[in-house]
Amino acid sequence: MDEWKPNPAIKPHKKRSWYLAWKYKLMNQRALRKLCQTGAVLFLLVTVIVNIKLILDTRRAAYEEEEESAQDYDDEMLNVEVPRHPVSNKKVLDVEVYSSRSKVYVAVDGTTVLEDEAREQGRGIHVIVLNQATGHVMAKRVFDTYSPHEDEAMVLFLNMVARGRILIFTIKDEGSFHLKDTAKNVLKSLGSQVAPFLSWRDMWTFVGKKGGEVYGEKHAKSPALSTWGDPVLLKTEVHLTSVEDAECRWPDTELNRRRKRFCSKVEGYGSVCSCKDPTPIEFNPDPLKDNKVFDVPVAVIAGNRPNYLYRMLRSLLSAQGVNPQMIIVFIDGYYEEPMDVVELFGLSGIQHTPISIKNARVSQHYKASLTATFNLFPDAKFAVVLEEDLDISVDFFSFLSQSIHLLEEDESLYCVSAWNDQGYEHTAEDPSLLYRVETMPGLGWVLRKSLYKDELEPKWPTPEKLWDWDMWMRMPEQRKGRECIIPDISRSYHFGIVGLNMNGYFHEAYFKKHKFNTVPNVQLKNVESLRKDAYEAEIHRLLGEAEVLDHSKNPCEDSFVPDTEGRVYVMFIRMEQEADFTTWTQLAKCLHIWDLDVRGNHKGLWRLFRKKNHFLVVGVPASPYSSKKPSSVTPIYIEPPAKEEGAVAVPAVAAAEQT
Amino acid sequence: MQKINKNVVLALLSLTSLVFLLFQLYYYKFYLSQKNGAVFSKVRGSQSGQDSTRWHVVRKFLGLISSHNIPVYLIDPLILGLVDKDIEQIRSSPDGPTPECKYFCAPRDFTTFALLDKTWKHEVGLFRTAEKMGFQWLKIINKDPRLDGMDDLSGIEIPLHYIFKLASHAIHLVVFYERSGNYLWHGPLRLKQHMDRKFVPFRKLHFGRYPGAYEKPELLLVSIDDLKVQIPKNPSSFLEEMSHSRFLECRYREARAFFQLYPDDASLDAVEFRKKAKSLLHLAALTLNNLGVKFWLSSGTCLGWYRQCNVIPHSKDVDLGVFIKDYKADIIPAFQKAGLPLKHKFGKVEDSLELSFQGEDDVKLDIFFFYEEDDHIWNGGTQAKSGKKFKYLFPKFTLCWTEFVELKVHVPCETRQYVEANYGPDWKVPVKVWDWKSSPSNVQYNGVWPVNEWDDVIQIY
Repeated sequence: MDEWKPNPAIKPHKKRSWYLAWKYKLMNQRALRKLCQTGAVLFLLVTVIVNIKLILDTRRAAYEEEEESAQDYDDEMLNVEVPRHPVSNKKVLDVEVYSSRSKVYVAVDGTTVLEDEAREQGRGIHVIVLNQATGHVMAKRVFDTYSPHEDEAMVLFLNMVARGRILIFTIKDEGSFHLKDTAKNVLKSLGSQVAPFLSWRDMWTFVGKKGGEVYGEKHAKSPALSTWGDPVLLKTEVHLTSVEDAECRWPDTELNRRRKRFCSKVEGYGSVCSCKDPTPIEFNPDPLKDNKVFDVPVAVIAGNRPNYLYRMLRSLLSAQGVNPQMIIVFIDGYYEEPMDVVELFGLSGIQHTPISIKNARVSQHYKASLTATFNLFPDAKFAVVLEEDLDISVDFFSFLSQSIHLLEEDESLYCVSAWNDQGYEHTAEDPSLLYRVETMPGLGWVLRKSLYKDELEPKWPTPEKLWDWDMWMRMPEQRKGRECIIPDISRSYHFGIVGLNMNGYFHEAYFKKHKFNTVPNVQLKNVESLRKDAYEAEIHRLLGEAEVLDHSKNPCEDSFVPDTEGRVYVMFIRMEQEADFTTWTQLAKCLHIWDLDVRGNHKGLWRLFRKKNHFLVVGVPASPYSSKKPSSVTPIYIEPPAKEEGAVAVPAVAAAEQT
Repeated sequence: MQKINKNVVLALLSLTSLVFLLFQLYYYKFYLSQKNGAVFSKVRGSQSGQDSTRWHVVRKFLGLISSHNIPVYLIDPLILGLVDKDIEQIRSSPDGPTPECKYFCAPRDFTTFALLDKTWKHEVGLFRTAEKMGFQWLKIINKDPRLDGMDDLSGIEIPLHYIFKLASHAIHLVVFYERSGNYLWHGPLRLKQHMDRKFVPFRKLHFGRYPGAYEKPELLLVSIDDLKVQIPKNPSSFLEEMSHSRFLECRYREARAFFQLYPDDASLDAVEFRKKAKSLLHLAALTLNNLGVKFWLSSGTCLGWYRQCNVIPHSKDVDLGVFIKDYKADIIPAFQKAGLPLKHKFGKVEDSLELSFQGEDDVKLDIFFFYEEDDHIWNGGTQAKSGKKFKYLFPKFTLCWTEFVELKVHVPCETRQYVEANYGPDWKVPVKVWDWKSSPSNVQYNGVWPVNEWDDVIQIY
């Protein structure tokens, strides 16, 4: 276009438009015309360039925006999504099962799913349940059938396993001593040929489908009483079925989706996974009228005892006035099965990395759980603290709702607890009666936020201190003379038999006979008289009307208390100073109540029931109520037995028991 | 060369230019309609007066959530801005029919609602219904910050944002959580890798760039554009609050690392001091908030927050910063009324003001007043016995919310620069001996007070 030079001398084109002609005529001035033309050309050129640029810009901007639109919002953390192992389409599983004196193992498709070669542990029959469609391990149990009653537990467990599941058995060390015929017959019905003849120190492995085929069985007889059978290794193949066959056909609802997820993962929960008539997982108990604890968070402290947790949550969710949204289950460790249980009930669960060991681990777990609870519910003034091995009574929340205002108003209170340490079948009677006690019973209790945040949390025992959190809380530095409110009849029941400080014997002796309230909607009767001063008046009134028992009789004998009902009796025992519990401990022992340390006292006074009569025990002269003692009565003194009995060692165990 | 007729060239150019113009117009329209942009909508909106798509989407959404009994409230800044202009009228006639769609038809990409976490159960049913109604939805979850400060708790990821999309409009539902310190918190919006980045133009969202902290709002049920919605009772103060709601989480991970290196002082003295410092800080916050004086954690208290998410047990006092423009003469009497007598007052409002109040048992509350210059901010110090003045320089900063000892308080958003200016690059190492005149790395000698002013600028009680 450079060549082009406007030349006005040139003859206008014949076909030029009228417009140009008109313009030409109008401005027949050379310079002006030239200027106009150049201007127009320039203007057009600029327009074109600007247009091109604009298009390019918009396009780039649009592109960038798309790119960036999310960049700003990208999660900084790398998305560590571990690629899931594709569920193998293989229809056959290779199973290896090993049984010997000191070691057992089970491998499924080369993956070891059980290995136990620890000494002095894992004796008995190990049972593994596999999902018949996926081959996943759904349950792992060991029943020490060398010891009594374990075979019953095994039968119970095997009966709960759904039909079609794959069962793997192997014996470690000894598994026949207390394997009774019932259990042997159950094993036989599963297809075992050897089970009925299992004997002392035999080695045995068995793989079969419940209600179906047998995949393999191996057995090595013990040649003599003093020796074990040779180790046996069973290698076999298991044919998988389709997923549809392995699942129940429940109606497609939200609840059943949860149920399905649960039942395809774990076994041993009985009717909750029954195809025909599954037990409900939503309970909808009656709401409480004027429920003062509806907005109080409930922290459930759990470890790896999923069956316990299952039982506990069932009772909790069935209690009147429960608010599932306020429940959080804190699991000590990254265990899957407890979390599955929590999800089955649609609750929220939090896992906590274990810190420290033994009692300190429990205590650190408590601290983390309590802190988390108050963080998650910053509005809450209280928290209910429960443990996974408790049954919760139907009126648990009703009990708390009626008594929680005391904790808010009475500074001299430390907690409200659902548990009466001395409330056994034969010593508790009145579901509407409450006490004040100087000890902290735990086992289902309410904690005040201010107590936790201002006093306990800052000086909670550190991980290296192997203390029990509850013993620590009972120490005078923490309790500072404050008391707890407890019911006569406990609103919780401690059913745990396995635990850190728990075993079957201990449970039978101290917990099995504990009284547990089953009456709904109990109206508590003396709530206002539980306040500090009112309670003293109440005690004085009680002592005033109480009949003094015959102190010449033996207080351990049943005849010590007359065969009446509904009377109030009092007895006086020797108690030289505040910490002198010699006679009390002996009395507790012969009454078969808690005697491992002192519980349930209030200023040297104990309140319980004997033969349906209210029975008061006053320690003289340490108790301020000693003045009620008629001068003719000599306080009873019971000599403690000689020390060899190990009386020192037992309380040490007992001390930690309630965890 | 053959001469080209200039007119032909002119015509050609005009033609090209025209083509470009048409193309540009087409492209503009295409691009914007695809992007659902505001500019174009505005044009259309202003032409037709109102656009009912948005109104319909909002109505459907409100129907959806009310059928599940989920209480949400409107926090959309655009709509609240419009509502605020007519707030008196809206308040006085809660049920009056509106002649035209004035608010919910206003041009915008999103309508933003808030949801209080504790008021609903995380039901899956809601999303089923939403899908049936034609909504596409997206849920953004992330770690629960309320548990972040704790040692190794896991398991809980919480929903922070929901986006419901229908046709060309989207509803952004921000989930608010109650936190310790009596305030509401919403999380940042961060997309995980597998998420659809183009689900909505995320950059245009009003909430989610940063986490935010808010007071619990008082709500008002109103009827606007024939829809019943809850709105904050005072929209203008909500919008004001929103403009500086940015929240900083404490750096819990770094704090844990710090305590690994320097184990925490768990002695009874430390526990006691922390308890006192906490209650002093609570009292100070209450007093200053009642006066409407904005303050932030400064010096050692700020360092404690930034480094270890806690009060430094050997720090012996609580330090707050206040901009001198927020100074009020009522501060001293207010603190005295709260039981904190004035211990000393250095400087004057025009220069180097500093107030100290005596808390319980030797725990002291220092309030430093900060003076803004063009390129820096400074506060002053005075040595009582010599009348020497010192100046502490800080780079400019803005204020963010954070949570500290169960309190919602301000800290400088650019905390690191702030702390580094004060304590130097080695701020991570605890120092027990600290001289306020020489230790800070930002201290400057600032002359001496004239002796005749001493009575005024050095007051010790």
